[in-house]
Amino acid sequence: MKLIDVQKVTKKFSGNTALDELSFSIPQGCIFGLLGPNGAGKSTLIRILTHITMPDSGQVIFQGHPLQASDVANIGYLPEERGLYKKMKVSEQVIYLARLRGMSKDEATVKLQHWFEKFEISSWWNRRVEELSKGMQQKIQFIVTVVHHPDFLIFDEPFSGFDPINAETLKKEIIQLKQEGATIILSTHNMASVEEICDEIALINHGKLVLNGEINEVRRRFKRNQFHIQIEGTQVTDISLPDGFDLIKKQIRGTDVSLTLQQQDGATSKQLLQYFNDKYTITSFNEILPSMNDVFIQNVK
Amino acid sequence: MSKIPIIIAREFSSRVKKKSFIITTILLPLVMVAMIVIPVYVMSQQDKECTIYVLDDNDYFINRFTNTDKLHFEYPGGELESLKQRCVRGECDAVLHILGGSQSNQANLFFEEEPPLSLKGKVEEQMDKIIFDKTLTDSFHIDLQKYEIIKQTSQSSVATIQIDADGKERASLMELNRFVGIICGVLIYFFVFMYANQVMRSAIEEKSNRIIEIIISSVKPFEFMMGKIVGVALVGILQFALQIGIVFVLLVGIQFCLPSSFTETTVTASEVATTAPGAADTMAIQNSTLFSDISSYYSFPFTTLIICFFVYFLLGYLIYASLYAGLGSATDNETDSNQFVLPISLPLIFTIMAITMESSPQSGLIRCLSIIPFTSPIAMLYRIPSGVPVWELALSLILLFSTFLLCVWISAKIYRVGLLMYGKKVTWKELWRWIRM
Repeated sequence: MKLIDVQKVTKKFSGNTALDELSFSIPQGCIFGLLGPNGAGKSTLIRILTHITMPDSGQVIFQGHPLQASDVANIGYLPEERGLYKKMKVSEQVIYLARLRGMSKDEATVKLQHWFEKFEISSWWNRRVEELSKGMQQKIQFIVTVVHHPDFLIFDEPFSGFDPINAETLKKEIIQLKQEGATIILSTHNMASVEEICDEIALINHGKLVLNGEINEVRRRFKRNQFHIQIEGTQVTDISLPDGFDLIKKQIRGTDVSLTLQQQDGATSKQLLQYFNDKYTITSFNEILPSMNDVFIQNVK
Repeated sequence: MSKIPIIIAREFSSRVKKKSFIITTILLPLVMVAMIVIPVYVMSQQDKECTIYVLDDNDYFINRFTNTDKLHFEYPGGELESLKQRCVRGECDAVLHILGGSQSNQANLFFEEEPPLSLKGKVEEQMDKIIFDKTLTDSFHIDLQKYEIIKQTSQSSVATIQIDADGKERASLMELNRFVGIICGVLIYFFVFMYANQVMRSAIEEKSNRIIEIIISSVKPFEFMMGKIVGVALVGILQFALQIGIVFVLLVGIQFCLPSSFTETTVTASEVATTAPGAADTMAIQNSTLFSDISSYYSFPFTTLIICFFVYFLLGYLIYASLYAGLGSATDNETDSNQFVLPISLPLIFTIMAITMESSPQSGLIRCLSIIPFTSPIAMLYRIPSGVPVWELALSLILLFSTFLLCVWISAKIYRVGLLMYGKKVTWKELWRWIRM
């Protein structure tokens, strides 16, 4: 089931094409990584998805109908450049922004109290934004994004400015939102977090789709047929390899020996496992998939 | 449901709650009242009693000065030096030494403590009169009593009365009209700039702290811009009403609290100020026919003036606020916005110069300016106290209103594009392209 279907979206700015017939879809209930180098068109795409700008051609289908102004009540957006009214009280500000998203005042107040209790920040209720530290402001900004309980959330670089502890809390919150049924776009340059929490990704460059799909499937596309195997016993000095495999790296790790192997054409991982299983005690075995970082660099260069 | 009311409410309450709002609301009327009251107070203080010793080398002026309530002339005789010493000892406030021989119309006034400013003028006035009478009798052999009769019978008085198409007449004090016109024009200028600037500043602020991105992902830029403009307009109306109220209360309070002689001076002083631009009516004040003319103050087109003030203020403000919002959104900071603000503010500045320099509200220039949008809020307010034909008023309002619609349309276009444009210095050419988009 698709929540969002981007269909041949094109957007130009004074001769410069930001998005060029871009098409992809976002399944319901997943965390979707939107990747791309600076200037690839991510911000433009996000502005189209949040109904801030209109595409020159093509359309965005949201929950089965073309995206329209009333859908913004169902969208939460955390912009990359955070901003709040500095002189306004925290509670008044969040309630105001929630009302602009279509919530009633009472409803917004109740929800806000809930979030404040959850983050244990109830004492901030009457404080002004300028009195809060940057990390505190980030939390408020997160609440602004989710307070109206949208089905569709867009987080643009959500982890920037957070310390590791708060970043971890935020990650948990994002995963929990997904478990509650929300669909989330995560636009970030932090590839480790993409690997960690994204289900699907789309990589765009120069306004065009470069890669799209389930994250491990995408990584597998760029695998170099390398394996990692670890066996017991450091006294083993001369390790023989089955035909079709070359040793890349050997490392002693405590009582184990860890080997990185390159598979040649025609060989299978089954042969490798059988061979080692007969001779040694295997403590770990896995195929080395390229990191998202590698995939990114390989595809954007 | 439209979200404009929510936006208006926030723009309004966030400004009204600010300390600066409360301070300016109270301070401005205080300054205005002080500007009226302090000069009058100073003038009234100057009217203290003075005793002057007169010494005339020709002895002609002896016993010829007229004593008044505040001015006593005494003729003790003796040497100038001894009189000066008596003055220093505090026996009198000043010594008037009139020179002898052919210089009998020249004199020196000696004093230790500086006397009221008006003293010199009063002494000169009396000396003039004495010399004039002397010349009449001595050189022309004219009887003074006969002269007084001639003078009184030849004195004329002109009342200014304005008539309209219905045959209604109203006494018109031209200088007062002009004074009220200038005050209204300047007030409009001041308020339009003050509040339009607030709109621009907040547009720049929202853009530079990036909250705008969250807002316009929730509401249409046009809705947000209109909500902001209307919210600030309501702040302006509230502030203006409060200030008028405070000025009124203060003036009434002063009238009641202070002695009557003081309030009388208040009236005269403000009338002197009124006539200052013309300066031709000083005679009228001296002849005190002015006090009958003041009744025309009450036949003043008050209702028209107040209604027009609000309508022109509102439309003028709306035009400038929407343009300022558009330009504010096109720039990242206030310094950059100046290059756009100055050219569009020139018409207002020019009009202020025109009404303060051009004496007649009926001149061709002022009439033109009162029809042209941008300049009409000031120029028309300047004309209204002196009466304006209905068709001119209607034409001016229609043009102003159409301009308002056009400006909002243009600004909405600039606003929509400008808000998301960062790090780029925008040029007029670029703005023009956004408008056509």
